[in-house]
Amino acid sequence: MAPYECSVCRRTVFSSRKKHVYEKGHRQRLESVLGAFGEKVAAARKMIKAASVVKFDPREHEQKFWCHCCQEEVQRHTSDGNVAVVFGGMLAHLYRPEHSKAVDKYWWAHHAEAKLKARFVITQDEYERFKSSVTKALENYEETEDALIKQVAGQIREAEQSRMEMLRTILEPGAPPAGGDDGVRSSSQQPPGRIISPADSEGPGPSNRQTLPHEAFVMAGAPPLTFIGQQVASDKGNVHTGALPPWMSPDEDDAGDPQDIGPSIEDFLKHKEKMALKKLPPNRVGANFDHSAPTDEGWLPSFGRVWNSGRRWQSRHQYKKEAGTKGGKRKRMEPP
Amino acid sequence: MSFLLPKLSSKRAVDHVIKTTAEVVLVLRFGRDEDSVCLQLDDILAKTSHDLSKMAAIYLVDVDEVPVYRQYFDITYIPSTVFFFNGQHMKVDYGSPDHTKFVGSFKTKQDFIDLIEVIYRGAMRGKLIVRSPIDPKNIPKYDLLYKGV
Repeated sequence: MAPYECSVCRRTVFSSRKKHVYEKGHRQRLESVLGAFGEKVAAARKMIKAASVVKFDPREHEQKFWCHCCQEEVQRHTSDGNVAVVFGGMLAHLYRPEHSKAVDKYWWAHHAEAKLKARFVITQDEYERFKSSVTKALENYEETEDALIKQVAGQIREAEQSRMEMLRTILEPGAPPAGGDDGVRSSSQQPPGRIISPADSEGPGPSNRQTLPHEAFVMAGAPPLTFIGQQVASDKGNVHTGALPPWMSPDEDDAGDPQDIGPSIEDFLKHKEKMALKKLPPNRVGANFDHSAPTDEGWLPSFGRVWNSGRRWQSRHQYKKEAGTKGGKRKRMEPP
Repeated sequence: MSFLLPKLSSKRAVDHVIKTTAEVVLVLRFGRDEDSVCLQLDDILAKTSHDLSKMAAIYLVDVDEVPVYRQYFDITYIPSTVFFFNGQHMKVDYGSPDHTKFVGSFKTKQDFIDLIEVIYRGAMRGKLIVRSPIDPKNIPKYDLLYKGV
């Protein structure tokens, strides 16, 4: 005969089941097991009177519980993927005839308190009551959901309306700009595409001062600026293309005045100022910029020519000799 | 406002100022004296010029007199303000696509003072471009698109 294995004590009993069920350890363990299971069942039984239906939450409502009598895991709540009936699965399991049979067997096998048995089984009329309360709860839940949806829709509608109003106030044309007598017109308030006739401008301004209709002002409320025309010159670059800045290019009417011999008072003052500047950080921008340096067309450094053969100094000397003899070589290479 | 701030009205004068101004931030306001936004900006410049006299030299440039500079700095809107330090063009990152000049008027005097101080300190540390300390809300943003760049 195989020895008896007690599922509550989780050990093999070599004496016999009949003796084992009276053991103190077994009774204690059985009590604690039934106490813990009883708490869960009591929580589920509360739902018979007042069932609760909530929104389905996969983390919350896919829990399972262990039925000690049937020795299996059972879904605790029932759900259709949308709403969940709290403890629905547990109550349905407790109502099943298989479960009540298993409870009878368990009670017999472990010699549990007979009074407690009724607690772990659900009768037919209890289950009917539960079903009716579930239908009631479901109706209530749908009503509240409808109300919530209506409320949210109202909020969305309100926000939409306020946005439309804001848009309308912005788009409404403001006061017409006063002025124009200084020959400068601001065009930001002109609707795009409107043609400004010459009779419109009161002032004797040149026509190119009238601004183009395509200019767009990103900042709302900024004062309109005067547009003075696109500065596009294809032959000369500008600051974006890294062209030669105007202050580096020579003046057309540069007349050099003859200097007096010897240092002047201005030179002395300048020298004194330069001495004072030695205290400033040496790596600041333009620290050794010569403010009086004349700038000519040849401001780019010249390193002679490509060094092909011979020694470096030979080619350099040759270049220097050629440049010295021919003189105006650089000038000839310039475009007219 | 030209009676409060020195005015430059030729390319030569601008060249001279750029080359000779040393160790202070040179502020060139390109615009017209009778323009309303220029007047706003000139008011701010004139009122702060004394406080900034050790950090900045402020000049007004008539944009119609210097077509070379207008073309070089691609000035399409006036007023446009350009900064130099020791003959070098200082760029400022205003958060707008154009770092070469400030377009429009400053909102407050403090904005301008802050900007000058940041440029001055940056230049003293050898920086050619600095970040604008002005709140981006207070920087007017205009549609400046240089053709072909």
